[in-house]
Amino acid sequence: MESIKLRKITSLWILIVLVLFIVNIVLGILMRLNQGEIIHQSPITFYANMTTHGLTQIGIWFVAGMAAVNYLLQRYVKTSYSANVVAMVLTVIGILMLWSSTYIGKFHAGWTFLYPLPLRIMWAKWATPMFFGSILVMGVGWLTWSVSMMTQLLKKYPLTRALAWQHFKKNPSTQTPPFILITMITLIGIITCLLGAVLLLAMYSAEYFSNGTFVNDALLMKNLTFFFGHTIANEMLYLGLAVIYELFPEVGGRPKWKTTWYVALAWNCTLVFILTAFFHHLYMDFVQPVGFQIVGQIASYMASLPAAGVTVFSVLVAVYRTPIKWSLTNLLFFIGVAGWVIGGLGAVIDVTITNNFVLHNTLWVPAHFHTYNALGNVLFSLAFFHWFSIQFTGGIHKEKFTKLILTLLLIGGIGFLLAFYIGGAESIPRRYSNYPAEFPMAAPLAAGAALFATIYLIAILIFFFNISKRCLNVLFSPS
Amino acid sequence: MFKRIILSFIAGSFFYGTAAFGQVNPADWKEEANIYEKVYDVSITSNKGINLTFSQLYNEKPVLLALIFTRCSGICNPFLLQLKENLQFKSDTGGFTVLVLSFDPRDTREDMILLSERLGLKNNKQWFFATTGDIEKMNQSVGFNPVWDSARSQYDHDAFLVGINKEGYITKKLLGLRDKHELGLLISSVHDIFSPSYRLPNNNQLFSCFNYNPETGKNAPGLGLLFLALPAIIALLLVLGISYNVRHKQV
Amino acid sequence: MQYSILLLFLILTALSALVFTFVFISSKKVGISGQGLSNPLQKRFWFLLILFVVLGIFASVTIPRSPYFLFADEVPARVVHVAARQFAFLLSDKAIDPENPEGKDSIEFLANELVEFRVTSLDVNHGFAIYNPSNRLIAQTQAMPGYVNRLRWKFKEPGKYTILCLEFCGMAHQVMRSSFTVK
Ligand code: HEM
Ligand SMILES: [Cu+2]
Repeated sequence: MESIKLRKITSLWILIVLVLFIVNIVLGILMRLNQGEIIHQSPITFYANMTTHGLTQIGIWFVAGMAAVNYLLQRYVKTSYSANVVAMVLTVIGILMLWSSTYIGKFHAGWTFLYPLPLRIMWAKWATPMFFGSILVMGVGWLTWSVSMMTQLLKKYPLTRALAWQHFKKNPSTQTPPFILITMITLIGIITCLLGAVLLLAMYSAEYFSNGTFVNDALLMKNLTFFFGHTIANEMLYLGLAVIYELFPEVGGRPKWKTTWYVALAWNCTLVFILTAFFHHLYMDFVQPVGFQIVGQIASYMASLPAAGVTVFSVLVAVYRTPIKWSLTNLLFFIGVAGWVIGGLGAVIDVTITNNFVLHNTLWVPAHFHTYNALGNVLFSLAFFHWFSIQFTGGIHKEKFTKLILTLLLIGGIGFLLAFYIGGAESIPRRYSNYPAEFPMAAPLAAGAALFATIYLIAILIFFFNISKRCLNVLFSPS
Repeated sequence: MFKRIILSFIAGSFFYGTAAFGQVNPADWKEEANIYEKVYDVSITSNKGINLTFSQLYNEKPVLLALIFTRCSGICNPFLLQLKENLQFKSDTGGFTVLVLSFDPRDTREDMILLSERLGLKNNKQWFFATTGDIEKMNQSVGFNPVWDSARSQYDHDAFLVGINKEGYITKKLLGLRDKHELGLLISSVHDIFSPSYRLPNNNQLFSCFNYNPETGKNAPGLGLLFLALPAIIALLLVLGISYNVRHKQV
Repeated sequence: MQYSILLLFLILTALSALVFTFVFISSKKVGISGQGLSNPLQKRFWFLLILFVVLGIFASVTIPRSPYFLFADEVPARVVHVAARQFAFLLSDKAIDPENPEGKDSIEFLANELVEFRVTSLDVNHGFAIYNPSNRLIAQTQAMPGYVNRLRWKFKEPGKYTILCLEFCGMAHQVMRSSFTVK
C-alpha cells in the first residue's frame, strides 16, 4: 500500500521533471537563437529566460535526484510519504511563483541573483519579493524533505554508521551500503546549503524592509550566495551518484557493490571540502583574502577528486572485461559518468586561479557545467526514470529506439557543448543577450549550438514519449 | 513550524538591522584622491630646531604625515593619542618617520614642543613635530581642506593621516579615526607592499567577513565569517540533535 | 593562453573518451564466460596517489602565478581609478567622486609601463575585463561596491584595448564597455 503511493508520486515527479525539462530546453534554444541573431528578443526577455532556465534547471534536477533517492531508500528504511508530497506541492508552487516573477513581473537578475542587483528594481516592484518567495517556498519544501529522509535514515543507522566510520577500522563488523553512505553525506550537505539560503534571504529581507537604514556587505552576500548556489548544484550531482552506486551493478546483473574504507574516506572528504569549494566563485574578487582563494583552489580539487576518482574508477573496473546486460539504463549511467568526468576536467581547468583569470565569466563556465549536467547528471536521472518505468510492466516491454536516443543525445549534446567551449576559448562573455562586434564567431557558434540543442531536444522528446506512457500507467493504475 | 522559525528569524534580523544601523554614511571616496601623486616638497621647522625640506625627511625613511593644529578642541588630540598607542604595538617602528605637521599658521615651534611634551614624545627619534610657512600648498597636494570657523575660532576638519613612500609618492590616506588594521595597511603601503584590495571607509563593517591584519599578514575573522559558518554549524547541530533524538526514543 | 587551455582540455577529453570506449568494448567482447570483479569498490591506492601527485604539482606551479601576486614588488608608473556603474565605466587619473562621477574621455598608456587599476563600483557588482587589440581576454577583476580591487598589468602590444563588463548587471550588461589606447 505504502509503496504503491510512493510509486505513484515518483512517476508524477518524473512526468513533472521531464515536462519542465522540455520547456527549459526550449528556453535554452531560444537564448542561443537570440545570441545567434536568428530571432530578435529584447534583452529583458533574454535575461528573463536565462533566469527562469537557470533556476528551473537547478530545481528540477535537484528534485529528480531527491525523488530517485527517496524511491530507492525505501529498500532500506521507511520514508515519509507526506514529506514527499509537501516537497512536491511546494516545488510546483515555487516554480509557478518563479515564472510569474520572471514573465509577468519581468524579474531578470539571473539565477544567482547576485547582491545588490535584485534590490535595484528594474522590473515590477512585486517581482523581487515574488522571486525570493519562490526560493523560500522551494527551500522550505526541500528542507522538509531532506530532514525527514535524514531522520528516517538515522532511525535505522546510527550517525557514525550512516557515515561508514566503522569502515576505517580493519574488518568492520557491520556494513554500510554505499547508497546509504552517499545519501547521508549528500543530505547533510543539502541541509547545510539550504540553511545558507535561508540566511541569505533573511539578510535580503532585512535590507528590503529597512528602507535603506540597513545595508548589507557586498562581499559577505556574494560569499553566501555561492555558498548556497554552488553547493546545491554540486549536491544535486551526488544524488545522481548515489543512484548509480545502487543501480548500476544491479541493472547489469552483477553483485552489489560494497563499501570499503576507501570509499568511506573519499565520501567523508567530500562532506568537508564541498563546503569551502565555493570560494572559487570569488577568485576575481581580489578583496577576498588570498588565503581563502588558495583554500578555494585546493578544496575544489579535494571536494571532487576523491569521490570522482573512486566512482569513475569503480565504474570502469566494474565494466572492464565483465559480462554486463546492457540496457538503456546502464548505458545512460555509463555515458553519464563519462560526461561527468569530461565536465569535471573542464571544471578543474577553470578552478585553477591562473586559468580563471582569463576564463572567469566567459562561455567556458556554462560549457563545463552544462557538460556535467546535460551529459552527466541529467543522464543519471534519465537512467533512473527509465529503470523505474520498466519496473511495473511485468517484463513485457521491448526497448525501442535505444540506439537512436543515445546517438541523438550524444551528437546534439557534444555539438551544443563544443560551441560553448570554443566560445570560452574565444573569450566570449557569458550572459550576453547579443554579442558585440568584437566577436565575429559568437553569433554563428550560437546558431550552430541552437541546431545541436534541437537534436538533443528530439532525443529527450522520444525518451519522454517512450516512458511517459508507462509512468502514466503507474500513476493511474488502480491501487 | 519551519515558517515560524523563519519568520521570527527574519523579524529578528530586521530589528537587529534597524537598531544597529540607524545611520549609514556613504562610502567615502576622498581617500582615493591624490594617490600616487607626488607630495609637495614643503620646508618645515621641527621641534628639534632643525630646518629641513620634506624630501630630506622622506628620502631617508617613508613618512606617516598627520595634519593637526595645537589649539584644536576636537579630533586632533584623540587622533594623535590613538596613533601613538597603535604604533606602540607595531613590530616595525624604525622603518618610518611620523611627521606631525601643523596646518594652523598661528602655531609656533614652541606650541609644537609643548604638544610633543604633552604626548610624551619629546625625545622620540621617530616622531617629528613641525610647522611650515607654506601650508596651503601642502594641504592642496594631499587633498586636505580644513575650514576656518570664526564663530568657534576653530578649524572644521577631520583626522587625516597620509602615507608617503621614500620617493615622495602618496601611497594611502586615512580619513577620520580608524582602527589599527587600517593603520597597518597604510604602513605597508609606504613600504610599497602590495595588497590587492582594500575596503572603502564608512561602510557598515559589522558583517564583513575578515579584517585584514597587515602586521601578522593574517585575516582576523569578522562577524561576517561567523555568518558564513552559521549554516554549517546549525546543520551539524541539527544532525546531532536528530540522531540523538531518534536513538533515545527507540531505546 | 586560452587556446592552449582548450587544446589541453580536448586532449584530456579524447583520452577519457577513449578509455570509456575501450572499456565498453571490452565488456561487449568478453561474452558470458567472463568473471569480472565481485566488488569494484576496492583499494585503488595508487590511482588516487597519482591523481593527487599530479594535482599537487599543478597547484604548486600555478598558485604563485595567481593575479594577486602580479607585479607586487614593483611601483606602478600609472594609477587609473575605475568606477563601474549601470551601464558604463568611468576611468580617470583622479579619484572619482560618487556624488558627481566623472571620467576621462580617453586614456592612454605607454607600452610596458606598469599600470594599476583601482576598480570599484557605484551600484551593483560589475566585471572589469580587459581585451587586447585582437579581442582576447588578458586580465580581469571584479568591481564590487564598497571595495577597491587593484589590478596591475603591463601592456606589451600597442593598440586599442576594450573593456567589457563580465558580471551580469542588468538589461544593458551586454553593451557596458569602455576602452583605452596603448602607445
Ligand atoms: C540542452 C539543453 C540546454 C540548453 C540548450 C541550455 C542553454 C543554455 C543557455 C543558452 C544558457 C545561457 C548561457 C549564457 O550565459 O550565455 C544557459 C544557462 C544556464 N543553464 Fe542551460 N541549457 C541546457 C541544459 C541545462 C541543464 C541540463 C542544466 C542543469 C542544471 C542547465 C542549467 C543552466 C544554468 C544554471 C544556467 C545559468 C543561468 C544564469 O546564468 O543565470 N542548463 N543554458
Ligand atoms: Cu556591468
